[in-house]
Amino acid sequence: MTTRAVEAWTLEPLVKFVKEAGARLVLVMTSAGQVMAQHGFSRAVDVMSAAALGAAIIASTDEIARQLSQPPFAALNHQGERHGIFLGSVITGRGKLVVLAVYDLETSSLGLVQLFFEQLTGDLQAASPKEGVSKQVLAADFERELSDSLNTLFGR
Amino acid sequence: MSLVNFTTREITCKIVYYGPGRSGKTTNLHYIYGRVPDSRRGRMVSLATQTDRTLFFDFLPIDLGQISGFSTRFQLYTVPGQVYYNATRRLVLQGADGVVFVADSQARQLDENLESLQNLQSNLLEHGVDIRTVPLVMQYNKQDLPRELILSTADLDDALNFRGVTSFRADALHGVGVFETLKGISELVLKKLAAGAPA
Amino acid sequence: MTAPAAYGPALDLVTRVRGVRGAMLVSGEDGIVVAEQLMEGIKGGAVAALAASLAARLRRAIDAAGVGPTLFWHLQCDKGGLLVVPTPSGVLIVAVAEPDVNVGLVRLELLRAAEAVG
Repeated sequence: MTTRAVEAWTLEPLVKFVKEAGARLVLVMTSAGQVMAQHGFSRAVDVMSAAALGAAIIASTDEIARQLSQPPFAALNHQGERHGIFLGSVITGRGKLVVLAVYDLETSSLGLVQLFFEQLTGDLQAASPKEGVSKQVLAADFERELSDSLNTLFGR
Repeated sequence: MSLVNFTTREITCKIVYYGPGRSGKTTNLHYIYGRVPDSRRGRMVSLATQTDRTLFFDFLPIDLGQISGFSTRFQLYTVPGQVYYNATRRLVLQGADGVVFVADSQARQLDENLESLQNLQSNLLEHGVDIRTVPLVMQYNKQDLPRELILSTADLDDALNFRGVTSFRADALHGVGVFETLKGISELVLKKLAAGAPA
Repeated sequence: MTAPAAYGPALDLVTRVRGVRGAMLVSGEDGIVVAEQLMEGIKGGAVAALAASLAARLRRAIDAAGVGPTLFWHLQCDKGGLLVVPTPSGVLIVAVAEPDVNVGLVRLELLRAAEAVG
């Protein structure tokens, strides 16, 4: 199973969580649905769909909580026939992150996931750097490459 | 906000298609989905009502390939256009790197376009974002309809394009202007990123 | 399973035994605490999650051995022990005890609590 992290500091806490909670698929993402780290997905584009949906669920429930004038819900769990889906959020030095974990009911449980999620939140908070400074990303002449990429993408 | 991975050299950006109900936001995504090869796109996710109206959002991830040495991916979202769904519309806007405003060119839809544009402005403000700072392009859709039913792009620019951003004439159902619009917003988003990104 | 009102008295049966530091009803399926009476310092949520996970693994081992359903298990540790009785409804009655506890008595009370819980 592949475990990947966009930012290296998320990797160790994620690997530990996967091992201890027995989770099958895990995503750590920003509240806007951008993936920071993942375990168990093979294609990057599939990860993005799961992240978009997970972030949307958290955003919806946070909004319901806001309309009820109460703090955001700590976590959410959806229990299926063979798998459970757990969603929780954590405030880190890099802002609010959302964690989505899919676990197999045969080998793990909500209790285990909840238990090790608490540890994960602590580990992520401890490992997270503060917001970084701006860095130059793209070369000034990226437009031509972008144009070529889009042309190829649309078969033009 | 764009996510940039300097280690694996990956960029992920979020683009939101905004506009009034039935202006053609989902149609834009469907057309893109249909044209992009399997290997360069993810599953299209549509959270829609039973009558195929967008309830929460449509989502399409596409892989643009290498740009300036970065593997670049775009996440395309639409919002529900119906006034009723403002709470979810606001949620989808969160963290958007760029916005495509899809206007319905029909003359009788002008008020809806204006209302949606004002709604975009206020929803961005709720996220602490000034509309003038967000990469934005306009798409005037349904320009294929009979001339007596629609407004010209010049009229639409006068009525809606107060920032003087790039606007595109489109017939999204048949793909006219869809590609150009995506290209337009992509350039703006990446240009902003080129000016400085979070580390 | 009986109504939640019966859970308190069921736990009382176990916690009144000298040397028992706490008792819990744990949902065996998801490892969540259903009811608890614990002394300070015992991490109920963690014990519940890990005991349920252990119970699931033990069940598989016991199934493989073909010795019938589990009636009682006791983990003897350096500074105490964990004693568990599963109920037919899938709830685990868990006791956390000191090292010198009367294991036979705790077992008896756990079985009575299991009967009360159903």
